[in-house]
Amino acid sequence: MAPAPQRGPSRFPLRRRLAPYIFILPFIVIFAAFGVYPLLFTLQLSFTNWHGAETAQWVGWSNYAYLLTSPDFWASLGNSAVLWLLIIPIQLVIALLTAVLLNNAKLRFRGFYRIAFIVPFVTPLVAIAQIWIVLFDQHYGAVNGLLHLVGAPDIAWLTSSMWAKPTLALLFLWKTTGFIVIILLSGLQSIDSSIYEAASIDGATRARALWSMTIPLIRRTLMFAVVLQTLAVFQMFAEPYVVTKGGPYGSTTTAGLFLYNHITRADLGTGAANSLLLVAIVMLMSLGFVRLLRAKD
Amino acid sequence: MSSIRVPVVSADVAEPSTGRRARPAIGSHLFLVMLTLAFLSPVIWAVLSAFKPAAEIIRNPLTFDPSTFTLSNFTGMFADVPIASGFLNTAIVLIFKGSITLFCAPLAAYAFAKYDFPLKNLLFGTVLVTLMLPTIVLIIPLLLEMKELGWVNTYQALILPGSVDAFAIFWMRQVIASVPDELLDAARVDGCGEFGIFWRVVVPIIRPGLAGLAVLTVMNIYNDFVWPVVIASSDRLATLQVVLSTLAQNITGNKIGADYATITGELLAASAVALVPLLVIFIVLQKHFINGILAGSVKG
Amino acid sequence: MHLPQLRARRHNPAASHRPARWGLVAAAAALAIGLAGCGPSIGAGTSTADANKLQPTTASNPKGQITIWDRSGDLYKVFGAAIKDFNKKYPNIKVNHQAVDINAKLQNTLITGTDVPDGVFLDDSLVAGYSSYLWDLSDALKPYTADIAQQKIDVNSINGGLYGVPFDLDPGLLFYNKTALESVGIDATKIKTYDDLIAAAKQYKLAKPDSAPIHLEQSGYLGQLQLEMYASQLGTSMTDKKGKLRIDSPQYTQILSWLDTVQKGGLGTRAEYLSPSDIGALDSSNEVFYPWAIWFDFAPQQQLTTTKGDWRAMELPAWTNGGARSGAMGGSSFVLPKAGKNSKLALLFYEFLMFDKKGYTAVYGPNSVYPNGLNTSIPSYLPAANASKPLFGPVKEMGNQDLWKTAVTAGKQIPGGVPTPKWWAGAVDYLGANIQKMLDGTLTPRQVIDQSSKDIQTNLIDRQ
Repeated sequence: MAPAPQRGPSRFPLRRRLAPYIFILPFIVIFAAFGVYPLLFTLQLSFTNWHGAETAQWVGWSNYAYLLTSPDFWASLGNSAVLWLLIIPIQLVIALLTAVLLNNAKLRFRGFYRIAFIVPFVTPLVAIAQIWIVLFDQHYGAVNGLLHLVGAPDIAWLTSSMWAKPTLALLFLWKTTGFIVIILLSGLQSIDSSIYEAASIDGATRARALWSMTIPLIRRTLMFAVVLQTLAVFQMFAEPYVVTKGGPYGSTTTAGLFLYNHITRADLGTGAANSLLLVAIVMLMSLGFVRLLRAKD
Repeated sequence: MSSIRVPVVSADVAEPSTGRRARPAIGSHLFLVMLTLAFLSPVIWAVLSAFKPAAEIIRNPLTFDPSTFTLSNFTGMFADVPIASGFLNTAIVLIFKGSITLFCAPLAAYAFAKYDFPLKNLLFGTVLVTLMLPTIVLIIPLLLEMKELGWVNTYQALILPGSVDAFAIFWMRQVIASVPDELLDAARVDGCGEFGIFWRVVVPIIRPGLAGLAVLTVMNIYNDFVWPVVIASSDRLATLQVVLSTLAQNITGNKIGADYATITGELLAASAVALVPLLVIFIVLQKHFINGILAGSVKG
Repeated sequence: MHLPQLRARRHNPAASHRPARWGLVAAAAALAIGLAGCGPSIGAGTSTADANKLQPTTASNPKGQITIWDRSGDLYKVFGAAIKDFNKKYPNIKVNHQAVDINAKLQNTLITGTDVPDGVFLDDSLVAGYSSYLWDLSDALKPYTADIAQQKIDVNSINGGLYGVPFDLDPGLLFYNKTALESVGIDATKIKTYDDLIAAAKQYKLAKPDSAPIHLEQSGYLGQLQLEMYASQLGTSMTDKKGKLRIDSPQYTQILSWLDTVQKGGLGTRAEYLSPSDIGALDSSNEVFYPWAIWFDFAPQQQLTTTKGDWRAMELPAWTNGGARSGAMGGSSFVLPKAGKNSKLALLFYEFLMFDKKGYTAVYGPNSVYPNGLNTSIPSYLPAANASKPLFGPVKEMGNQDLWKTAVTAGKQIPGGVPTPKWWAGAVDYLGANIQKMLDGTLTPRQVIDQSSKDIQTNLIDRQ
């Protein structure tokens, strides 16, 4: 965050002191009505056993107690953590490399590349699910077909608990990496190109320039991408829902899908408690990343 | 972050040890071409499959025999589902919801980034909390709110919730924070009003970021299905994604007694049709945010 | 929860030159807790038992509009075509027929009570879960209940009320590859019990060592549904009438042990229903026995190529000599929400579709969608399900077999049932997953029963 003006606000003219309130007003109105209000409702709900039809009963902390002592809840977090490890580092490396290459005005076909990379992001998920089921079938899928050519054995991509997570991670990587490329590109675009000209006069290699100049300059954007994808991975539910239904053996029941399952069972109180616990966990993680990146400065 | 190591930074993934500086373009293209293949081939498969007889898609998923080319999935899909009104509804939501997001979010983000005011941190903290809240959990509370407002099955219910999502504020605040304060102060000295500073100084500088936000906003609205499916229970209001999800239920359900093949064919046809406008929008918008408008503005 | 820690950080001088992120998060949380009492009130009014019973209309010329939700796909088109016939009888009832993602929408629509449809197509397994929102149809359907398959009445009955108009009966059948079996000298029609089935599978495997003759379902959900088909044959199910869990029984032990034997003997092809792997095994005649609901007939009709005309269906084997030769697997009904505007007219619509000869003929007989008739289930209304008066014709892709006769005869053997507990789908994470673990060889049938009972009790039943 940029340092705030140093002088005390009271010395500014009234117009300047009022301005921020006017600027945030439209946002605040909509946000309070459709963001904060339902959030408070969720909090209230988390202390009840409401199932939708009957009258809700106050049950205190019992939804939280149930979840915190439920092995399934922790397993769902563990599944998401493994997916996070499988997805985020690879995605950052690929997206950063791609964004840096695409940011080069002299690159030929870069308009084409940019569009190509965003196509998965805009393909409807239900179509993607069909694609994945066909591509990753153990006996007749294209992926194992390719692996056969190099003599590799069949892999039970979608039907073994060992491989289902990597398969799901691939789907998520495939679908969202183009999105991260856009975010990083917008960060790269804000770098004044003259600093590279200066650097090349100094004889810095491209690799050095990227490590010592580009990455620090877009660290805010990188941090943003990490936080955003952490949220996305921990809230992920539609992808496992349409491809694996959380199986085999719950190995792809992500934190988000576990939460969604409460809601589809109309166990709305537990669902609310689960989502608030998830928020707390994700919030702690995000703040952790922010600190980690700051410490590297 | 330890995963990003120096050697990776070279563009020449294919030739890590030699010729790094001599032929950077070839390595770069190799890397990009491989990625392009990985990204595009599944979609190309899906689009080509939409032109196969429905039963063939399941039976022989990986072959394409041009002699069996058929439009029957498309004609069936157009006859069975209200895809035209789906497009219209999506366009309406896109225009209104998108405008609200693209106006309100940067303006509020500007206030968060460049002004000090009481409760600012509290407000921004609340934004962060809602950003971390899974969307699905707000569905039930929002639904009851819509009921009390009498907004179930209305356009405003499709448009307003989520129109100033926390993500947009968070991102725009990041972008605007990088605008130098000196520029703003200089504008003030020149007699520019507070909104004028935003409009004439900040907006031009952050244009790439705004275009990026526009792209993502358009895509998010276009692809959103969880809330529209819930709130638009009448066909009159069904957006494109609602139409798709209605079509897909026999697949995302458990195939119990479902006419699986026909549905798969129609689903792929609908997906192919749904993909086209978004690609056009993206091709138009992307020019605006990647061509390095920024450098000039900052220097000027 | 984490508030004390967050507050402590706020006063950390090292962090104070940064915006106090921790502090503001804490403050936001505190505000939220303080305001938590302001949420909208939740709950619903109570109503008396009689007010929950729908009575038939007495109007001589009923008129009005009804909104009907159906699943998209072939059934939507079939019912859509039948509306024309309905309007010949009731010209003044306008049917607003919508294809809707029912699983995604019904719960939310019922909670808000806005624009609630008059009639909804619903999986039998979901009826109990919605019953508090639905009309009790026990008075309205009284003229028909004696003539409806007992299993369908039972799954729709909760505490003496009847909450759905039963639609189809989905009898389990043994589909078999006649050509492949005959080529090694096996006459499938001689199979009477599940032990016979194993013997036939062994014989087939002896002749064709690469084969794994019996289908073993690999999807947790469908595997559990198939288990319930086997259980239905034995007249049992996961819970009793009162909702008490009863999988720790000799019947379930017998079924699970049988599945375990098939797997251990290398006699089973494990694949998800009609996945590419499944279709490959079927088409290469490696998988030749498929105990499944009647709707497996989609496979020979739409998806199989090399073995297309080779498939036939017969009654399931019995668990013991002389036992029932079929069980129910799947099935749907029509429910009428109390919040619907014209429930009585919707009742007329479903009465016509299900119990009027013109209606059920329009649904199951030849129509614009299925020129040969709808053959993926049979009517649950017994006067419509007459073995010698088929509504749909012989199935060309199954050697012109009279599937109607086979299915209707099997359907009559299905024992009664009990309402499906509302947490049924949630049990897939436990029972469904544990069956798969057993088929992996990591759990014994005993362990499946013990673990599933414990988990279902703690995570599902106790949380209702």
